[in-house]
Amino acid sequence: MNTRIIPRLDIKGPNLVKGIHLEGLRVLGKPEHFARYYYQQGADELIYMDVVASLYGRNSLLEIVERTSREIFIPLTVGGGLRTLDDIRNALRAGADKVSLNTAAIHNPNLIKAASQRFGSSTILVSIEAIKKPDGCYEAYTDNGRESTGVEVFEWAIKVAELGAGEIMVTSIDREGTGKGFDLKLTRRIAESVPIPVIACGGAGKISDVYDVISQGKADAVSIASILHYNFVKHHDTSDDFSGEGNIEYLRGRRGLSTIQDATLPEIKDYLTQHGVQCRHPITRAAHV
Amino acid sequence: MANKLEAYYRLPQDVVFCKRCVMSNQRPSSYPEFKHKRDRKTPTLHIDQEGVCDACRYAQQKEQIDWESREQELVKLLDKYRRDDGYYDCLVPGSGGKDSAYAAHILKYKYDMHPLTVTWPPILYTDIGWQNFRNWIEVGGFDNVTFKPNGKVHRLLTRLAIENLLHPFQTFILGQKNLAPKMAIQYGIPLIFYGESEAEYGNPIAETSTSLRDKSYYTMHDLSEIYLGGVSVPELIEQYDLSLNDLMAYLPADYRQLEAAEIEVHYLGYYLKWTPQESYYYAVEHTGFNANPVRTEGTYSKYNSLDDRIDGLHYYTTYLKFGLGRASYDASQEIRNKHLMREEGVALVRRFDGEFPERYFQEVVDYIGMEPEHFLELCDKARSPHLWKQENGEWRLRHQVS
Amino acid sequence: MSDLQQPTVAIVDYGMGNLFSVKHACEAVGLPAVITSSKREILAAEAVILPGVGAFGDAMDALRRLDLVTVLQDIAVSEKLFVGICLGMQLLMSESREFGVHKGLGIIEGAVLPFDSPLRENRKLKVPQVTWNRIYKVKTEGLHHGSWVHTPLEGLPDGEFMYFVHSYYAVPLDDSVLLSTTRYGHIEFASSLRYRNIFACQFHPERSGPQGLQIYRNLVSFIQDRSVPKEE
Repeated sequence: MNTRIIPRLDIKGPNLVKGIHLEGLRVLGKPEHFARYYYQQGADELIYMDVVASLYGRNSLLEIVERTSREIFIPLTVGGGLRTLDDIRNALRAGADKVSLNTAAIHNPNLIKAASQRFGSSTILVSIEAIKKPDGCYEAYTDNGRESTGVEVFEWAIKVAELGAGEIMVTSIDREGTGKGFDLKLTRRIAESVPIPVIACGGAGKISDVYDVISQGKADAVSIASILHYNFVKHHDTSDDFSGEGNIEYLRGRRGLSTIQDATLPEIKDYLTQHGVQCRHPITRAAHV
Repeated sequence: MANKLEAYYRLPQDVVFCKRCVMSNQRPSSYPEFKHKRDRKTPTLHIDQEGVCDACRYAQQKEQIDWESREQELVKLLDKYRRDDGYYDCLVPGSGGKDSAYAAHILKYKYDMHPLTVTWPPILYTDIGWQNFRNWIEVGGFDNVTFKPNGKVHRLLTRLAIENLLHPFQTFILGQKNLAPKMAIQYGIPLIFYGESEAEYGNPIAETSTSLRDKSYYTMHDLSEIYLGGVSVPELIEQYDLSLNDLMAYLPADYRQLEAAEIEVHYLGYYLKWTPQESYYYAVEHTGFNANPVRTEGTYSKYNSLDDRIDGLHYYTTYLKFGLGRASYDASQEIRNKHLMREEGVALVRRFDGEFPERYFQEVVDYIGMEPEHFLELCDKARSPHLWKQENGEWRLRHQVS
Repeated sequence: MSDLQQPTVAIVDYGMGNLFSVKHACEAVGLPAVITSSKREILAAEAVILPGVGAFGDAMDALRRLDLVTVLQDIAVSEKLFVGICLGMQLLMSESREFGVHKGLGIIEGAVLPFDSPLRENRKLKVPQVTWNRIYKVKTEGLHHGSWVHTPLEGLPDGEFMYFVHSYYAVPLDDSVLLSTTRYGHIEFASSLRYRNIFACQFHPERSGPQGLQIYRNLVSFIQDRSVPKEE
């Protein structure tokens, strides 16, 4: 089975941002530039997460989605602050193919059922943000990694699949943005306990981490942010007008982040293919038959 | 005749919020802690006629500063003090938080200085705080002197500070502010570097034009001026059976020794543009700093003020006394640094400010030997009527930022 | 110089599926498209696309409610290009085994089966299939099947990647309509088919990157030529 490699773009207002543990958000550029680049480089899908949406109870990136979906012809998943069927409908109308639910789903699990019935299971992705507790259990968090719920992650994953979700995205908040690698145990346990595809998210610091979460973590797809974004920033001038908002200090320097070994999508896919992981790659065109 | 509500701590009667950040005019400024008595007039954040606070004004000024020339000033200063004979040439106080991590590292590895780090440890280290401290020294690579004060006295003074001033952090602040100058004298290191300038947070704007830390913060002239935990030194000695020696750790340097040693204290933030979030990233990259994966209680942030179990309580008490909790502080800082729009700051404050520090509460009250109920009583007594009202048995702030 | 009439495509809106990406793809290749549930507009269009995501039974109910069943069946036997995508391909079949047995449009004889059907080997497969997978030319012994020339897949290399998201797959009775096959686990299924003026694909060409857009470009050629794709 072909494993999907999916760049994840965290968005705040007009900017693409990146943090550590979903916090300390640096502005890295304009989402459209990154999206276009990743599409050209062979991204299998894209995920847009509005990281401030659940604070406001609204998702403000629909404009970005609309623009993206006109020029980028791969599946687009949109998440952050989606609470009602109307919110989902609006996201789909703006051009999203799938929506990601977290906070709203934990507060009201029936939303998953209603949404998958209304829009199709495959349209509904549930995102689980997990934090490892001192006793070794994993707890689900909401509101972009800020609110604890008391909900145990593995039970929740199974329930989510039963309620009709099409896919699950698992984010380890402990690992997210740190570059220390994915939480393989977390991913594997979820992947092996649900019949639906599981997307691993959070922690990639080098290319081999991506391989590990597929081979050991049993992920069906991998969502990556830091490795790709820092690579993009290093090699492209993202000096748009940023006087509006966000921490842009970093961009003025244009370095990487030393805890991350950045890479491009083709480099990642080449590595995977060499190590026996099937993924979509460009095929040289055969002569007409 | 209008019923005037009493304002405790001699705070300003009217509550005014800054138009740019989310701070209010109730925010206390830095104050020489050893003069802190219950009846002090709290110096507070100044908000000007356009509704903008001093800290925001300073942030605005920061945009105009010629950082290149400031850096040149720094280099000149450092050239003057740098030693190549193997001895320390500067002192960096800190406990391994992102700011001291940044300061020590950049002075040593970029500017070729030879810092000695000195630590007045947190009252109760958190696990992550301890790990960050160790990484600072072991990964960052610095010599460190940690002064650990007498535990019994520490506990007593902390309890008194809470009892009399509802100020759980006073013992830490006292020690932290006073240690560096005393160490500098003792080790013969005439140059001290603190992190960002206090004006970052709204202490009087006049100070920022020079970088020397206001000497009044850390010198004393004689013992009768000194109050620890809201109790005068003579009274402490008599009532609690302590000796002067027991209290020395909390007392500031003798001003004569200080003057004789010609110690200079500087804010690194005067010379180098200070973006707290970037010092976080710097610390992550260079000194093995780790933030918390979970947010800190009372705020949204994960990398500020992580190392003391009593931190949460401290911010909770500022919320009670001044109507400003941790989220207000964090959000204001981020707004000034343009990481947040004010709208988001307001939403964050309304969501997280004043959250009860459940996590370490029991541990802390056990440590100081106080009944939880008594602590909560003290809390309620500390709520100034001009800030708080009761509605259906619940306390509500009269004025919320919007 | 005569005014060339711009072809228009009607994208059937029966309340299910991401119609907008189909429309964007059409527009990207210069094919004016309209999203509609109006019988009149559908009949007036040069070509019809039946997209869809969701449950078979719900889809048929919706089509019936909108009184579109006959319309679609009529177009299927006309000369107009009729494209079925994903659920749209499945709806062409006689019946589906999804949650009971449902009648489809019956345009092509065949059934729709689930991936974990007992008819196939029992293997652990993630369902739905949500991934890129490869479409291959159909190779039948003796016959010179397999070429994609003069089909909407013209110009694509054998084994090209397309984006799939589905839990069911169509099994046409007559193998000769198969245009490409794809393997998922142990199951080899029809990923696209072609029958007279009908082209249907299980994958989403509008979400399959540049290679998917190539298919839309090929469709434009068909519509402009007003020619029926030749059978080999």
